[in-house]
Amino acid sequence: MATTELSAYPGEGFEPRLIERFVSLRNKRVLEIGCGDGRLTFQYAPHASSVLAIDPDRPSIDEALFQQGEGGAPNIDFRLGSIERLTRPGAPFDVALFSWSL
Amino acid sequence: MVHALRRAGGYLRRGGMLVSIRPHRTWRPSIAIVAGRSRVPVATLLNTAFEVNLAAAESALERVVDEGSFTLAGAQAARYRIYLARPSQVRTYLELINPPRPRFPRGGRARLNAMWTSAPRGARIEVTESLIVNGLRRP
Repeated sequence: MATTELSAYPGEGFEPRLIERFVSLRNKRVLEIGCGDGRLTFQYAPHASSVLAIDPDRPSIDEALFQQGEGGAPNIDFRLGSIERLTRPGAPFDVALFSWSL
Repeated sequence: MVHALRRAGGYLRRGGMLVSIRPHRTWRPSIAIVAGRSRVPVATLLNTAFEVNLAAAESALERVVDEGSFTLAGAQAARYRIYLARPSQVRTYLELINPPRPRFPRGGRARLNAMWTSAPRGARIEVTESLIVNGLRRP
């Protein structure tokens, strides 16, 4: 019997479509807070100009960096850390995305 | 949370958008058994501890709007469904969720197992989850 891969998150494309109801991410500079392992980041990053994606959980960031190494997405800058301690983020962002982070 | 929202706002250009995606606070996850066009509800999951966190997030978003750091651009709620092949996958599914995890109400898991035993061949377990997206614009 065919079932989806076990995940508590929506299928690919679901969240980007909801986000696009508020703002297009195309060619935008995006700051993602709480990116985890990059599950959502990799979905929209190909359309964005650049992405700074942060998460305080080292294993999650390590997994994101591994996935990035496997599949590209060179416009994502994954960093270990929190929004409270973010340093040198660069130019102002067009979009700040709190992805499943309270 | 309020501090994090303010910090994020400080990194946005004027007119930039802050987007929050998180589980819906009042649309609780539910479990059903589906087979063809048949859908039999089994249980609504409970997660009181997490609902406290979600309420705090809502309050924080309201606060940064009230204080003028952002204007509310809108909110969009949505449901999504996940299908599992058998009851044992429900436990695995719940373990994938970061704590505090949802749990069955008293007797809910036994009810699922009992209903599954009599479910028709080809039945699946449907988990309905929900989320809410808020858009806040920096003035």
